[in-house]
Amino acid sequence: MKLKLTWLLTLFMAFVMQLSFGQEKDITGTVTAASDGLPLPGVTVLIKGTATGTSTDIDGKYSIKAKAGDILVFSFVSMKTTEKTVGSSSTINVAMADDIASLDEVVITGYSTTTKAKSSVSSVRVSSETIENRPNASFVQTLSGQVPGLNITTSSGQPGGNSLVQLRGVGSITGDTEPLFIIDGAPVDQDNFRSLNPQDILSVDVLKDAGATAIYGNRGANGVIVIKTRQGGFNEGLKINYNGFVAYSSLQDDDYDVLGAQDLLRYERSRGNGAGAGNSNSLFNPGNGTPLTDAQIAAAPNFNWTDFFFRTGVTQSHTVSLSSGGENSSQFTSFGFNDTEGILVQSSLKRFNIRSNITGKSSNGKFNYGTNLTLNYSDSGEPNNIGGGAINRNFVLGALQSVPYLTPEDYTNGAALLAPLSFTNTPLFLLDRVETFTRVDEEVRLIGSANFSYALSDWLTANLLMSGDYQAAQNLRAEGPTSFNALLFGGAENPTSGFQQQNNPRTFAYNQVTSLNASKTYGKHSVDVGLYTEYFKTHFRTFGFFQNGLDPRTFSPGDGSGFIPVALDPASGGIIFNDNPNADIINTGLFSYFASADYDYDERFGGSATIRRDASFRFAASNRWATFWSVSGRWNISNEAFMENSVFNNLKLRASWGTAGNQNIAAPVDATEDFFATGSGYGNANSIFLAQIGNRDLQWETTEQVNIGVDFGVWNNRLRGSLDVYERETSDLFQQTPLSATVGFTSQPANTGLLTNRGFDLQLDYDIIQAKNQGDLRVSVGVVANFNETELDELPNSEGEIIGLGRNGGRLGEYFTLRYAGINPANGELLFLTADGDVTENPNADTDRVWLGKNIIPDWNGSFNLNVDYKNFFFTTQWNYVLGVDRFDNDYAGFINEDNVGQFNFSADILRAWTQPGDITDINSPTATNRNTFASTRFLRDASYLRLRFASFGYNFPSKYLENTGISSARVFINGENLFTFTEWRGFDAETRSNGSREFPTPRTISFGFELGI
Amino acid sequence: MKKINKIIFVGLLAVLMGCNDAIDIRQPGRLDAANAFTNVEDLQLGLLGIYAQWDLTPEIALASNFCDEVSIGFDSGGQGLALYGFQLNPASAAGSNFWVRNFAFNNRASILIEAANSLSSEIDAADQAEFNNILAQAHFLRAYANHELLLYFSTDVRDDSTLAAPVIDFVPGLTFQPLRDTTGDLWAYINSDLDLASSLSNVQSDVTFISRDAITAFRARLAMERGDYPTAASLAQGLLNSYPIADRDQYQLMFLDADNTEIIMKLERTPNDPFDGQGATGSVNAGGWAGARFAFVDATLAGSPYFEMDRNVFNMLDPADIRFDVNVAPTSVISGDFDNDPDPVNNDILVIQKYPGSEGQPLMNDLKAFRSSEMLLILAESRAAMGNFSGAAELIQQLRTARFGSAQPLPVYNSMQEAFAGVLDERRVELVFEGHRYKDLKRIGVAAGRGIDRNMIDCLGQGNACTLSADDFRFTLPIPIVEINGNPAIGAEQNPGY
Repeated sequence: MKLKLTWLLTLFMAFVMQLSFGQEKDITGTVTAASDGLPLPGVTVLIKGTATGTSTDIDGKYSIKAKAGDILVFSFVSMKTTEKTVGSSSTINVAMADDIASLDEVVITGYSTTTKAKSSVSSVRVSSETIENRPNASFVQTLSGQVPGLNITTSSGQPGGNSLVQLRGVGSITGDTEPLFIIDGAPVDQDNFRSLNPQDILSVDVLKDAGATAIYGNRGANGVIVIKTRQGGFNEGLKINYNGFVAYSSLQDDDYDVLGAQDLLRYERSRGNGAGAGNSNSLFNPGNGTPLTDAQIAAAPNFNWTDFFFRTGVTQSHTVSLSSGGENSSQFTSFGFNDTEGILVQSSLKRFNIRSNITGKSSNGKFNYGTNLTLNYSDSGEPNNIGGGAINRNFVLGALQSVPYLTPEDYTNGAALLAPLSFTNTPLFLLDRVETFTRVDEEVRLIGSANFSYALSDWLTANLLMSGDYQAAQNLRAEGPTSFNALLFGGAENPTSGFQQQNNPRTFAYNQVTSLNASKTYGKHSVDVGLYTEYFKTHFRTFGFFQNGLDPRTFSPGDGSGFIPVALDPASGGIIFNDNPNADIINTGLFSYFASADYDYDERFGGSATIRRDASFRFAASNRWATFWSVSGRWNISNEAFMENSVFNNLKLRASWGTAGNQNIAAPVDATEDFFATGSGYGNANSIFLAQIGNRDLQWETTEQVNIGVDFGVWNNRLRGSLDVYERETSDLFQQTPLSATVGFTSQPANTGLLTNRGFDLQLDYDIIQAKNQGDLRVSVGVVANFNETELDELPNSEGEIIGLGRNGGRLGEYFTLRYAGINPANGELLFLTADGDVTENPNADTDRVWLGKNIIPDWNGSFNLNVDYKNFFFTTQWNYVLGVDRFDNDYAGFINEDNVGQFNFSADILRAWTQPGDITDINSPTATNRNTFASTRFLRDASYLRLRFASFGYNFPSKYLENTGISSARVFINGENLFTFTEWRGFDAETRSNGSREFPTPRTISFGFELGI
Repeated sequence: MKKINKIIFVGLLAVLMGCNDAIDIRQPGRLDAANAFTNVEDLQLGLLGIYAQWDLTPEIALASNFCDEVSIGFDSGGQGLALYGFQLNPASAAGSNFWVRNFAFNNRASILIEAANSLSSEIDAADQAEFNNILAQAHFLRAYANHELLLYFSTDVRDDSTLAAPVIDFVPGLTFQPLRDTTGDLWAYINSDLDLASSLSNVQSDVTFISRDAITAFRARLAMERGDYPTAASLAQGLLNSYPIADRDQYQLMFLDADNTEIIMKLERTPNDPFDGQGATGSVNAGGWAGARFAFVDATLAGSPYFEMDRNVFNMLDPADIRFDVNVAPTSVISGDFDNDPDPVNNDILVIQKYPGSEGQPLMNDLKAFRSSEMLLILAESRAAMGNFSGAAELIQQLRTARFGSAQPLPVYNSMQEAFAGVLDERRVELVFEGHRYKDLKRIGVAAGRGIDRNMIDCLGQGNACTLSADDFRFTLPIPIVEINGNPAIGAEQNPGY
């Protein structure tokens, strides 16, 4: 309100002044850049509220007729628009400041920040504009394609599900490959963002090179993603903002061409097996040996089970935020509610968020503090057994493979499906599961951080940063006692079967960084030095139970009223079921001390160095401590005198080199220890058994990275971008080293081998059409690209190759298998190539396998972007691409598996199966003897794709429409996610990074929303 | 001064938080090797842990799926099709299971034996008998693991010069990469363990634990495999004197785990034990309930039998024979004219019932390791091998009379081949689904003129895999790829044919 009043007053004053002094005169002046004092040509000079204007000449000079009281508006790309009121003087010189937001943005390096010009590291910022209002329950999905080198793969359509995040390739084999995530100073769980509200995020910085990440040495080997949430500003009136959207999600398209009921029944009849052949034992046409007639087939129902198990998911999201600030304190508060319905039955996410960010300072400015606290609650339905082959448990299997001649009308209850037990009834088993099974997670997530700094002198500051991440979940899984599954597995002996399992995992992670920072400037030299210690500890606890036996009269999922105590078999006295409690405690911790130094000379040269010592709880005493370091340097070429008249307005060369450690391995937390365990042994008696033989030589996995980069802007930043070339070499890799089984184990975790990722990151943005004035057409395009190749070396055996992993000099995860060579036209058998390339029906499953030079890790990934603004409309598209991913299409393998006849549906491809000598086809004879024998490349497919990952169209209401409404800003928008995909992959989602089958694909989503500011 | 105080304060805060609290972490609930075995009671618990390594279901799965005991069930979801098609290679579960499981078994037994030996001087006199008995059982278990390695990986267990498996009679370091030892060496290792077991064991008989009688039964079986038929005959005869052949009621109750007349030793299976579950269905990796090798849910028509009884086995079962009642579920659908049935898949569903379940758990039954009827058949085979064909025939008659409950005719064997064939055919019925068929065909299939003999109607629709000669290379398992990955040199010693 205060601001608004001032503005009205100004207008009023101008009006009055105009009445008094309304006489035109010539105003002249020179416009210069504040940063270097050089004249700025081409600056637009407008009289506010009129169309009268001019622009500066080559010397930055302008001339315009204006009256006293007029307001001159000076605008220029990448500069802050400046207004000057015409007074008595007829000369108005303007020094335009760089627009911090676009050009001289703040860059995060380690625990401190600097300006972009002074940064010598490789990092990319993603601002709130490209995160907010996207209908992804997890903000991580939204980052996909926005940062060169950052590959984000979401392999599940579960709302809020985890994404695989990898920066610059894959940095480890069995160790952690994902970046460290830090939210407002708090390191957080990298796999769980379902409870957090993306609308609170102000910026995401992706730190890529060793210079940027070494300061996070003990967890920064795979990059660091630093997230800042919104803050209020000092001396700022209350601002209230609302964002909301509604989204509709649906299944993406597939290309399997599955059969309808009539085609399927005819095929079954031709095979003499299944309902079409009259010998099914399912609920449709149970067999009497007589095949269906054409008329009966025509009359059979044709039901689409894909549309039954998948649905259009509706999402609504609302966020209200309030921010304000006084002289010495500011606050930002937000409330969020999101209700996302997944496209798969029973998948959902509901969450409620509160955030409170407070900053404050002492009146002398010496003491500063900030607290960030967020409380989140989520309740998600998460169907399990996804990706599995259980016909009674995996809904996706039911959606894909069910026979279409069964319909939901065939279902009465679970008991009716027990006999005869037929695989063909798969959709009905799963329909029963929808009715009787519960799988929900409730989660409370608290993330809090507090930072304090005290200026001990004008050059020395003491800092303390404390943060905690607390997650408490309750995972519930319950199978109702009247369900098909309970009745099936309980049997007559146990008529009250069914189970309820609950697990309550809680994790508290505490992090503390204590530091002393010195900063001094001597003329053109400036030096910053920091000394730090970091303490990190997590406390994981879980307890739960598995209750067997539920009374259907009182059972309700999550409630214990229906629990039946231990039940004994009346005949034998044996235990039919009893209950199993479980509990676990795991503690982990890290401790580090480190130092950093930064130097700058006149914003022309600079560099940084860090060194740190890290200890991990994970390693036996001898290898507990490790040292990591980095150096980086830059040359701001565009700040050199000789560059004064070049087309470059920004040109900076950067280089960095350094190491970072990884101790987060998939192996057990105490993989260095030998130990025994006690538990159920022979006859269910307590026993002692060997649990683990440890490796006392385990040590830190080290990633050494070299990065050379250039940042540039030419033609007044019309073309801008950066290019980074890197090589990351991970040594002492954690891997399962194969052992001779004669030692009692077949593998053991060890540090062995070398993995190199090398490639480049490119980001280019170009303004095709620049706006001269507000509201003019503005068109810009951009490219984000990363090329990365992996190379393995020093593998731990004499062959230099490990099946499943790769070979020396080859790529990570290179496929090693038999080569499929088609179908023998003579007999319909499958053909393969021997290692020597000869065609055979009976290859040696061991020695005829070859390395294929292909893997599932992308070679290229990135995006193409288009942004258009006109008047108050805006339009954005983002096309993501991924090249060089090869996957096994195991869903397709199921769709042409002739042994599924009578049980599951097929791709229409099955109709061209070999039937007689001379047939040339790609589908084998249904009786080929080698049809189930060999794993081969038969189903290996290129899963490269180009996808319209995101499109947005919207309208910002001009402020003139909002006058007197009490609303300061308003916008409406339509967004789309995953709208189109161009790919040869036949499945629902080319993005899934998996060689599994029956996975939950990510959806296509269209959303509508609006944003209001008061 | 004030500033310095503040610096000291900040520094102290850092140090007080302490680093050791974060990095000197010992996870709760770990039992050190040094504290694992400190007395006889610990050793007894350790022994129970090693017993839990002993499983017969991989043998049951291999023998039934690869040989001629099962056919693909009407409710098959594709389980075991490759093995049914005689597809066996170094990547198959069969080789890796028998190799990896038995070496782990051998290793855990060696760890306990070494722990026990290091305690031997501290054992109280009162505990000495129990201590000896624990050690006896540990040596027996280790011998059992190695006998599986011998039978499945040696091309000829009666030829000492053939390659078997490495002899690992100690706890090796993890980098150990041995080559194969000979059959003779592995025999010597097995025998030394059994000699120790015999000398230390002080329990004559025990249904669910290793006793002197179990050791004798095992030696009888080994002697037969070895071709030392006189020893086999004398050991088997001794046991037959103490363990009678069950009558019809006892036989039926035995497979409900309610009678032990005939049992020399069986492996207890009970709810919540490490084997209480389905295991890997249609795979030699098996584990879990024995009955889950044939069906998912229970041993009835509605129990989703993915394997059914091979019709040729069914044809050998006389409805008057109690073994018909034990093996064929009453819910089975039996075609009256199988050979001419238009839809044998759905009109002839022979549900296997050898493992109907016990203690309220369908498909879960104790695993019969040594029964007196097996001793009888060992004795019969020994007599046949020693030329006493009529003596062999008398034993077969004795067994059949017990099973039918009425006097059965005396078979006539005119040659050693006929006598072996008679014994082998009787084993196929008496020991069906108990994991013997693969070993039996390998041992005397050629001598008996028998091979894999599946019913033609069962197998024709399934890749025409109907017969396989008993001298086929696939009666010896391949050294698995998982071993070659960790021990490349052994790859050069792969068994022939693979």
